Amino acid sequence: MTRTIVAATCFAACLVTSVANAEPVKIALIESLSGGQAVTGKLFQSAVKYGLAKVEAEKAWPDGIKLLEYDNQGGPSEAADKLKAAINDGAQIIIQGASSAIGGQITADVQKHNARNPGKEIMWINVGAEAMEFTGPKCHFYHFRWNGNAEIRLKAMLIAMKDANALGTKVYIIGQNYSWGHDVQKLTRDYAKEYGYTIVGDVIHDVNKIQDFAPYVAKIKEAGPDTVVTGNWSNDLLLLMKAAGDSGLKARFLAYWIDQPGNIANAGDTADGHYTQSTFFPDANGEKTAAFAEDFKAKTGQYPLNVQGHVTHAMWGLGEALKALKAKPGDKLNVKALASAMENVTVDTSMGPIKMRSEDHQALVPLAIAVVSKDAKFKADNTERGFKTIKLLTGEQASSPVQPSCKMDRPKS
Amino acid sequence: MINARTIVPLLAALGLLVILPLFLSPNLLNAAIKMMIAALFALAFALAMGQAGMLSFGHSAYYGLGAFAALHLMRAVEHKLFGFPTPMIPLAGALIGFLFGLVFGWFATQRTGVYFSMVTLALAELLFTLAPTWNALFGGESGISTIRGPSWGINFGSDADVYYLTLGWFVVSAWCMWAFTKTPVGRLALALRDNEQRVRFLGFNTHVARTLIFAISCLFTGVAGALLAIANEAANYTIFSAQASANVVLQTFIGGAGTFFGPALGAMIMTFFARITSDLTRSWLLYQGLIFVLVMLFAPQGLGGLADLHARKVRTNGWKHLVAPYLLCLVVGLLLIAGLVFVVESIHVVLTDAYLAKRAAAKGEWVPYELFGQTFEPFSPVTWAIPIMLVAIGSTLLPVARRITARAWLAATRDVPDEPIAPSASAAPVAPPS
Repeated sequence: MTRTIVAATCFAACLVTSVANAEPVKIALIESLSGGQAVTGKLFQSAVKYGLAKVEAEKAWPDGIKLLEYDNQGGPSEAADKLKAAINDGAQIIIQGASSAIGGQITADVQKHNARNPGKEIMWINVGAEAMEFTGPKCHFYHFRWNGNAEIRLKAMLIAMKDANALGTKVYIIGQNYSWGHDVQKLTRDYAKEYGYTIVGDVIHDVNKIQDFAPYVAKIKEAGPDTVVTGNWSNDLLLLMKAAGDSGLKARFLAYWIDQPGNIANAGDTADGHYTQSTFFPDANGEKTAAFAEDFKAKTGQYPLNVQGHVTHAMWGLGEALKALKAKPGDKLNVKALASAMENVTVDTSMGPIKMRSEDHQALVPLAIAVVSKDAKFKADNTERGFKTIKLLTGEQASSPVQPSCKMDRPKS
Repeated sequence: MINARTIVPLLAALGLLVILPLFLSPNLLNAAIKMMIAALFALAFALAMGQAGMLSFGHSAYYGLGAFAALHLMRAVEHKLFGFPTPMIPLAGALIGFLFGLVFGWFATQRTGVYFSMVTLALAELLFTLAPTWNALFGGESGISTIRGPSWGINFGSDADVYYLTLGWFVVSAWCMWAFTKTPVGRLALALRDNEQRVRFLGFNTHVARTLIFAISCLFTGVAGALLAIANEAANYTIFSAQASANVVLQTFIGGAGTFFGPALGAMIMTFFARITSDLTRSWLLYQGLIFVLVMLFAPQGLGGLADLHARKVRTNGWKHLVAPYLLCLVVGLLLIAGLVFVVESIHVVLTDAYLAKRAAAKGEWVPYELFGQTFEPFSPVTWAIPIMLVAIGSTLLPVARRITARAWLAATRDVPDEPIAPSASAAPVAPPS
């Protein structure tokens, strides 16, 4: 079987000859690395490599780690094949994040594999699949989510905007017609009372099919909101912002994903004044985050974008959990023990400490809330604009309660 | 039509497939399962396309419906609502595929040619749009998942069990489809493809016939989808994507829509190709596209068509003329491919972020890059000499190889009479819209 080991081989030199015959821990990255979604997949790929370089340098596992890369070709069925390939190649830790559609396949497959192969468990480190159900009805012991979710991100933005007196009292929701858009819609309604706003309008539209958002913007204008909440991404966000800019809509956007690469360059001045959030902005925590951003740029060629902050932090979290096992050279990784260690792991980052919550395996990630502005210290997409952080929330502040639907089945040890 | 000459190799192939799991690594075993599913899908698609000339751009609809039907049945069994033997689960896919094939087909087959294709595409898009929003049925973005229950004393936990289940359904379905082409309705399909108007004048209700053939194609597509659901134990809305529909068209044309087993061959080869190359290079989609273009340009009847041509035309002892020229062609092909791959992969490496970061660190200098475990200087003549040499030798030998092969072909096929070509073996029909 052709085995793809495009591994972080640059560390090979560090391996002393005495442990050369010992097996390193194999970590499989299963992302879209070719085709239309490759741009997203590569964001994950470079951050994973960067994060694991530190884990390896710190000798988190005495026999070293080895990254195997698999191209899921953007489809869940292919991802299932690649997951099997990864398991057969000896991978014990699976990393994936770019899509909840693929995440759904992976989390189910990991669960089934573990049920059928006791003693040979594998775990999924979720670095980006944000659907609420992964830490809700679909939660299980071998899944850990190191990124945010619809609720955490919304809550953080609401807190920050409320503090900055930017939220207003009238909120409009526009979202995409699938589980993510529905999650955002429902949560925005649920938080209305707590943050003192009323919903003046609410619309759900087809995903990535609408070419002209002018009719939607006209409706928004009619409702006269202070703030428009949208979980839209990609074209749906860009075209919406453009239509809003063209119509002279005064409302602020509270948009989850303006920080996706390319958005600022494409949206131009229509993005000014809109609010967003991220698990990392280079100006979020003064010198600390700036230093991290510069180091990241030196190694990978650009500042950490969009998901890359929490992907890196997830790798460091994995490193901390590996260290906690206090393994000796020659030991074989026991994934059950690793999962138990990861349940309570805390990792220090430039954004502040990130703690894994053992109840539902949702990390408490610090979030930075920013406004798109020309005054931003770090510019995005080689434009004159960037994200100016207005508030940094700790993981606890941004956290949302454990979903009651999560019934974690812990192995007895 | 069944004689010793066809039955012996078929039985040998079947025997090989049965003992295969003993020799395959787990990865290859899983690949074999997916190849058989893809092959069944392609065969079912080609039943409508190759036999009846109905080029459907939306077959992923029936593939996906079959998969979801199987998943819901498996879930019902998992939650002990009722019992149902796991090996019989593809029947659910068959039923749903057939029913939806009848309904959707009734609309789509009102038109022929490109209009038919557009209607099928639209119906599949309908499902693709609907599925992510209909949580109860399709499980939203992350889909629904279930687990294969044990039945008939078999656990169905291992890939080997799934392999035999898939093999059984593949063989039975393929045989049914082959037998179908021999029935009067199957014969009618060919007539519909060649001249629908004449069939109508003969007194047949062509709309009903086309609907029926389309539905039977969808039935077996549903079986393929159900087998995928059994193998993956999960599915989500992306199974309905236009990409899946396009893939089966591509595979069928590469395999050759005009022959019965060609599409299966194409699907197996291309599935295997995607699996292997996608982990080796990020440019594999480019290579896949190139294969498609080359096959369409130089062997429009596809790989199956080529094999068929050889089977019909080459004398029993004609192969001795062909072996050497074909080896030469292989060498020439490999030289040209090697040159091309070198250039494509070099460009790819030089454009990666990692390389750009290295260049930035070296103040914009063109630093050496790594490829195939070697280091190359981007502007060194040595680096450029490699692809230039490969392509130069390849293209010098190309006309020679073509001349020699043409001569050998004449020698190998001498004295073989031009027997009338069986209709099912004619070139891939792409009926122009009438």
